Amino acid sequence: MKRLVAILTVVMLLASMMAGCSGGKAAAVDFVMPENGFDTETPVTIKFYHQMGAQLQTILNTAIEDFNKIYPNITVEHATYGDYNGVRDQIKNEIPVGNQPNLAYCYPDHVALYNIAGAVQTLDVLIDDSQYGYTAEQKADFIPAYYNEGKTFGDGKMYTLPISKSTEVLYYNRSFFEKHQLTVPTTWDEMEAVCRQIKAIDPTCIPLGYDSEANWFITMCEQYGSPYTSVDGDKFLFDNAKNKEFVKKFQGWYNEKLVTTEELSGGYTSALFTGESDSGTRCYMCIGSTGGATYQQPNQTNGVFEFEVGITTIPQVDAAKPKVISQGPSLCIFKKSNPQEVLASWLFAKFLTTDVVFQASVSMNNGYAPVIQSVTENPVYAEFLQSADTTHIQAYAVKVALEQKDAYYASPAFNGSSVARDQVGLLMQKCMASTSVDIDAAFKEAVAECKYQAGM
Amino acid sequence: MVDSKHQWKAWLYLSPAIVLLLIFTVWPIYNTIKMSLLEGYNTMAASNPLHPGFSFGFYNYTYVLQYDGIGNFVNCLKNTVLLCILTVPISTILALLIAVALNSIKRLQKLLQTIFFMPYVTNSIAIGMVFAAMFNMIIGGSTRPDSVGIINNVLEFFGIGYINWTNAGSEYWANIVVMVVYIVWNALPFKILILLGGLQSINKQYYEAARVDGTPRWRVLTKITVPLLSPMLAYVVITGFIGGFKEYSSIVGIFGDKLGPTGNPYSLDTMVGFIYRSLSTQEGNASAAALILFGIIFVVTMVNLYVSKKKTYY
Amino acid sequence: MSDIRTMNKRDWKKVSDRQRVVGGIGTAFTYTFLIIMAIIVIFPFYFMIISSLKTMDEYRLSVPTLFPRVFAFQNYAEVFASKDLQLAQLFFNTVFVGVVSTALSLVITVLSAFAFARLEFKGKNALFAGLLATMMIPGELFTITNYQTVNYFGWMNSYTVLIVPFLVSVFYIYLLRQNFLQIPNELYLAAKVDGCGDLKYLRKVMIPLALPTLISITILKMMGSWNSYMWPRLVANDDAHRLITNGLRTAFTNAEGVTNIPVQMAAVTVVSFPLFLVFIFLRKYIMKGVSRSGIKG
Repeated sequence: MKRLVAILTVVMLLASMMAGCSGGKAAAVDFVMPENGFDTETPVTIKFYHQMGAQLQTILNTAIEDFNKIYPNITVEHATYGDYNGVRDQIKNEIPVGNQPNLAYCYPDHVALYNIAGAVQTLDVLIDDSQYGYTAEQKADFIPAYYNEGKTFGDGKMYTLPISKSTEVLYYNRSFFEKHQLTVPTTWDEMEAVCRQIKAIDPTCIPLGYDSEANWFITMCEQYGSPYTSVDGDKFLFDNAKNKEFVKKFQGWYNEKLVTTEELSGGYTSALFTGESDSGTRCYMCIGSTGGATYQQPNQTNGVFEFEVGITTIPQVDAAKPKVISQGPSLCIFKKSNPQEVLASWLFAKFLTTDVVFQASVSMNNGYAPVIQSVTENPVYAEFLQSADTTHIQAYAVKVALEQKDAYYASPAFNGSSVARDQVGLLMQKCMASTSVDIDAAFKEAVAECKYQAGM
Repeated sequence: MVDSKHQWKAWLYLSPAIVLLLIFTVWPIYNTIKMSLLEGYNTMAASNPLHPGFSFGFYNYTYVLQYDGIGNFVNCLKNTVLLCILTVPISTILALLIAVALNSIKRLQKLLQTIFFMPYVTNSIAIGMVFAAMFNMIIGGSTRPDSVGIINNVLEFFGIGYINWTNAGSEYWANIVVMVVYIVWNALPFKILILLGGLQSINKQYYEAARVDGTPRWRVLTKITVPLLSPMLAYVVITGFIGGFKEYSSIVGIFGDKLGPTGNPYSLDTMVGFIYRSLSTQEGNASAAALILFGIIFVVTMVNLYVSKKKTYY
Repeated sequence: MSDIRTMNKRDWKKVSDRQRVVGGIGTAFTYTFLIIMAIIVIFPFYFMIISSLKTMDEYRLSVPTLFPRVFAFQNYAEVFASKDLQLAQLFFNTVFVGVVSTALSLVITVLSAFAFARLEFKGKNALFAGLLATMMIPGELFTITNYQTVNYFGWMNSYTVLIVPFLVSVFYIYLLRQNFLQIPNELYLAAKVDGCGDLKYLRKVMIPLALPTLISITILKMMGSWNSYMWPRLVANDDAHRLITNGLRTAFTNAEGVTNIPVQMAAVTVVSFPLFLVFIFLRKYIMKGVSRSGIKG
């Protein structure tokens, strides 16, 4: 025992000698363009991580072939890590050993995480380069809200490029709405009224299903203009009276069985929308991602859909100033000691973000919206958009997503933004699940948890 | 006399073990202590060439103890201690009764012994799913639950009605009951086995004497069996506490990664769960928490040893 | 009660008669208690197996049946066919990791235990005490740094990371050393005189004599790899290297919407089955191993 104590003491002393030395503050380092520009002779290999399934990878491979026609000396090696979190965890493990890829699919909060290690390359120098950057037309072609997401990191610099985007839309049972002459709600007040009307028609139903509790909370903050998070200062600002007010309101809705969510109902609410549950419960409206449109397709009997689906913008606080969330992957480029690798990665990223064929193929495959507007001029894609209806629900969802392009918002991204997202989702569940919950304490706890996990 | 020719041989034989222990045991101990003493240490920041370095002190310890978030340390400690003080005595007493009973019978002994040992060889996560299904109650839109687990059916049969054990909106005491049942069930086989082994080594003469005396069974149990079995009982209790303080995967088994019913995440989180959660982003805090846990286990074990030394008859 | 020495024959008979009656009631009580407890203990297994054989509709009945009306063997077919679960890969990974790590672990344990039990060297007792002290420290402490270490070695998502870090168990060394110490030293000295080397002596004498302990260690180690959850989830959670316990959880969390509980239960049954087999055939050794070890896994 004495020996153990002695060993521990020695180790403590050793550790104390390791006390930190001070240095400069962490700051973004801009890319420095090599004097002779991109070397088109020497072969260069870049690693690219994503979450694509087999079909999307086929599309990617075609894009790489096209890219290699322009830059034959760049080899693109790519690997899938299942889902976005898989990509993040892999990279998080690799950064401390300097093994990170050259570019990767990312969400803003992933970039915030990589930024703690200072591993992400800022793109402004590359974007504005007269030889290798975007042309003015290419820049203008981006849907502005998508493009500006790359600058939500607090220092005004560009860290990511949008690659393909999704949003939330309201799916509703059009057949039911027409049969009972209901109006599709555009505001939350109208939503409440419609829910009550529906409840009067079908007492066992839950009129509205909202898939993501977190999105709901964040979108409400945005629509009310009440604080959620900020890049600097206290960061976690969502503990305020306005937010408690809407949480309380929705708690009432849940209690009256006007609404349910994914976690509270124990499964995606789309399952309740497309067909009845075993006890005869169903939803007549569902707010979910455009990326999951196929899950909202009604059940079929003898090859005929049981009802018609309508898709529209989600309800608003103020229908004149709509706000809808912007989600979906972006691309980020990692710093490397060899500038040629970074430049090659940039050229590939530029290709993927501006190539109409790639953008159109991805969108038609997974129902995400393309990030450049010229895609709609592509005849094949235009035809795809025109097919929008219940049988082509994916096209329908993309079409609605493109129509509301001025309504997009993106939350600030920083170290802890993903924790905030998790926590407000859990907070929403907690407050809705029980009427006896102490809402003030729950908000306080959630903020404390955010601060803890962000190391504040 | 140390034979110098054997010296190098011994070290040679020991070398694989020593190398691996240095890398995977000694180095971690050193490193954990170091990380716990560097303020806000995390690997991401540590791998940033521009990071100014971490200042030295007990900041992480006070931070871990003081933070009052959703799954805070005090709450985790409370859950852990509560589960410990409930499950250790219950499982020990049940195991003792079963072992004594098993030891006193001849027919069916082998079969029953096998049955009682079965939980030991099961995958704890897998059986956690079975328990979760047994206590299940999913609430649909109507008042009728969509699907009801067997436990609630039994309760209804006795006219008690459904209890929401683990689903959204369930109460803390109900969650704890489920956890206690599951943990006790899981802990029984090992304890039965140890105690049975101990019982079989007790000299039969004591019982002969008691039998001749016509001493009632419960007196035999409390006056002869328990004192003679006290070393094994002490062992079972001590390992029970050490294991109890490390409770984690059983909770994942029942409640999943959020360590609580829907709408009440982390309400059943334990200290090990806390460490793992901190580990993903805040390694400094995780280290501090791990060392605090070590301190607690150390103290509890010492107390246990002290008490058992006083109460144990050899 | 009267003193045993002063009792006469009649008293003896009276006592034993009463004992028999009390004993009869007692025995009945004992059996009842044991059987009730056994039913409680075994019920989750029974529930698991019958649930795995029910159709979804039958499973959903508000009063569950205690025996499946129709055997829905297709649940098992579904488990084996599931792309989400990739059962064959999970089995292979688990068995591979189990066998390799057990084999290597045995070699290291035998050599170390031999050194501690038979050889003399400076600092032997201090080293042994130090090793035993590490057993007091919760393993969670090691996880943090080991995670970084294996990361540094570039072992993430490999078989190596599942095998190497846990090859040395101080506990097994301790166990085997105790066992080796019981083997008389004369045998060793005699072997030396015969010019028999250490390794040959180990192989010919020590290992056969300590076989029960070695088998126990083997079984405990194998069970450990079957049950391990935290470490594999942390370091090797990719499709190619995932172990069975993580596979079960991942497959079910990935499922969208309503989960098919009977199929879930079928998967759990399939996973538990090899352990049952091992247990039934090697019951004696496992029990011996466990009562010696006192530590699960």
